[in-house]
Amino acid sequence: MEKMLQKIFGYSSFRKGQRETISSILSGNDTVAMLPTGTGKSLCYQLPGYMLEGSVIVVSPLLSLMQDQVDQLMMIGEKRVIAFNSFLSYEEKYRALHQLNEYKFIFTSPEMLKSVSFIERLSKLNIALFVIDEAHCISQWGYDFRPDYLKIGEVRTRLGSPLTLALTATATAEVKQDIKASLAIENSNEFIYSVDRPNIALLVEHVNSSQEKMDVMLDYLRKMKGPGIIYFSSKKMAERTAMVLKEQGFGDVMAYHGGLTQENRKLIQQQFLYGQLDIICATSAFGMGINKDNLRFVIHFHMPMQLESYLQEIGRAGRDGGNSLALLLYAAGDEQLPLQLAEGELLSDIQIDALLHWFSQVPEGWHQLSAYESEVTAIAGLTETNYRLLKSFNDQAVADGQGYDSLLTLKQMMANQYNVKRKKINDMLQWIYSSACRRKKILQYFDEELTIKVDNCCDICGIDVNNFTISNHLEKREVESDWEKLLAEILIN
Amino acid sequence: MRISYTEKVILHCLTKIGNQRTIFSILHLLNGKKTSQTIQDAHLFHLTEFFHLFPRLQRNEFTEIYKRMEKVNIIIEKENLSFKLTNKGQKIINGSSNPLPAYVNGWQYHRYTARFWERLSLLVQVVSQLNKQNQRYIPIQTKKEVHYWLKSLLKQLKWKREDLAKQLFGELSALLGKDESIRPILLVIRLSGYSKIGLTAEQVSDKLRMNEDEYHIHFLNILHYMIQQVEKSRTEFPILQQLILDDDHSFSLLTKSTSKTYQLLQQGLSIDEIAAYRNLKKGTIEDHIVEIALNIQDFTIDKYVSQFNQQQIERASKNVSTKQLKYIRQSVPGANYFEIRLVLAKNGIR
Repeated sequence: MEKMLQKIFGYSSFRKGQRETISSILSGNDTVAMLPTGTGKSLCYQLPGYMLEGSVIVVSPLLSLMQDQVDQLMMIGEKRVIAFNSFLSYEEKYRALHQLNEYKFIFTSPEMLKSVSFIERLSKLNIALFVIDEAHCISQWGYDFRPDYLKIGEVRTRLGSPLTLALTATATAEVKQDIKASLAIENSNEFIYSVDRPNIALLVEHVNSSQEKMDVMLDYLRKMKGPGIIYFSSKKMAERTAMVLKEQGFGDVMAYHGGLTQENRKLIQQQFLYGQLDIICATSAFGMGINKDNLRFVIHFHMPMQLESYLQEIGRAGRDGGNSLALLLYAAGDEQLPLQLAEGELLSDIQIDALLHWFSQVPEGWHQLSAYESEVTAIAGLTETNYRLLKSFNDQAVADGQGYDSLLTLKQMMANQYNVKRKKINDMLQWIYSSACRRKKILQYFDEELTIKVDNCCDICGIDVNNFTISNHLEKREVESDWEKLLAEILIN
Repeated sequence: MRISYTEKVILHCLTKIGNQRTIFSILHLLNGKKTSQTIQDAHLFHLTEFFHLFPRLQRNEFTEIYKRMEKVNIIIEKENLSFKLTNKGQKIINGSSNPLPAYVNGWQYHRYTARFWERLSLLVQVVSQLNKQNQRYIPIQTKKEVHYWLKSLLKQLKWKREDLAKQLFGELSALLGKDESIRPILLVIRLSGYSKIGLTAEQVSDKLRMNEDEYHIHFLNILHYMIQQVEKSRTEFPILQQLILDDDHSFSLLTKSTSKTYQLLQQGLSIDEIAAYRNLKKGTIEDHIVEIALNIQDFTIDKYVSQFNQQQIERASKNVSTKQLKYIRQSVPGANYFEIRLVLAKNGIR
């Protein structure tokens, strides 16, 4: 195993949890692995992929994440890899479908797994390993529940119950139980590692207004060692802040969010990796799969919707093991934004009533929802997320032979989900207001205990800021203005 | 009064179109909308270079721009959404001629500009990495088809790894150095290689303090220049000429559906027969024929319009200074709209 690791990936040793997980798979056991962010989860299926006969299928919730994983494999020279998702054109899909057996690694989304022809092709493959990444999305109790994930268990059965690996970075006990039940892998091996990252100091700053928040952040940025990421919950704020930072001379800064073109996303990610950027102002679209070792800080300008995603995002700092800082800025009332977001993601009673009324007049719409997408969207005022939720409910209900009146049950489902989300936000808020050690609190939340003494622990325990600061000012990089010189530098030097 | 680059572009189009079309015909032109109306207008008003220059310009952004120009009295509404320049507008535009740099030609190149860039940027990155014998990097372009293209190109080229980079560098610097008015840095700064990742368009315009739209046009100018020069002297650029090689006929001037109709026409089918065969409306086939007349130099329209009507329509279109079809129709009562559009299409090209 070590030889393969060295030969293919160029690493000389495993990180915590990788060897155990991989051995378990190689000896033919279904496996659930919970490894903290930043410890190389993907290796747990990549390496077995090279040691087992057949294809590895990886189900992944986010398109951007999928592309990052494909890129990682391409980077080590793997050509037999494809992201089978809605980004592919019709021709590309057609071509891919007909040579599916030529791929070693097939990444796909839960939505794609609804396609009959795709499943048909998959079922003809020799599947070495079936991987569910971000497996917490399966659980209604997970912070990122995706109804489409519920069907993965069914797909797995249709594929002949291949050897399965469920990966996640954060999962409470109930979530773990849900994962196993949903995938029907009750007898799987379980590898759970501490979510704690001792080299990341945890800081919370309470401020009184959004202006003060900006000022406090600028103060920190003036002293802090980069590079780093600042997370926002809106595109607009990410863009605006990037602009402010550029103007105020914080070196090279860029905004990153889902609204960028594919090419620009690529360029900005890569510039960041190559050290051409100092700070990224991002929404949560940034960072999944970013393998930058030397991130020195992660700032949250807005509070995340739950401790799980907070942990995931700060986990991108300090992968090299060096001292890093996680700073969360909180102004009283900040929880309103995530509460609104949580509500907006779900269907309201009013929307469901509007839908019920509409379907009572256009009953055929229930059986061919896609054909009425724009109409339904307009009459019930649905967002894209809303519609996807409705579609997924509709698919299931139609498959079960239920009529549109089953929408009534959706009301209760929505109420339950809202309560889950509200509770998560509340947990996050309690953590922000807590006066006990922040690390201890987080571990408690994940049913763990703090067993080691951490030097620069958190603002409550006290940290030595000198470990994280620099005095020199960041300068924007000069651009070469002689085009021939620059071209030579890019192509031949 | 200062106006933005985009406003300059819109004003220039407006001087040509005047109030003969609504202002949104300019948006359709800049978006490169592939309807026969827009394609025909582009030719009729001699605005083909502007076709598809801003494919992502949104209707609401466009509305904001023209409303502002109306507010500051540069343009004035004549009738329902059709506008004219005011005297003030005339004065502003008088000083400046066509805002486009020399090589931009949207109509001719829009179909392969994006692909040319995708291929070029990936080629440069991959060759640079090969030169350094590095295999661990993330390709800057994601489309599979570009990767397939590059893969087969690399197999085909006869140079060794270290010579390949030199050859490509030689070709690029010869090509870009031939006419420095194109400002090669505007393109080179976007390229990625072993030691450096290229900048985004936004970053370049920021660093060079250029308006983003103006930068975009100058970037297109370089791409169009490259395509044109390489087309002209393929043997001089053995690697770069591969960038413009057609692999699936989409480099042709006709839209897909139109070229099907064209094939059937060449097999001798009539309009009605084609409509029936393809299960399309007759009007759609007529649109296709107008598009063919616009693009295929030696396509004859005699089969569809009598000589007499052709002459009448031509004469009418010269007398009626406007190009609105209904005025021509009024003076040539014997011709229908299809015939008029067809004659105008054929003439517009001249």
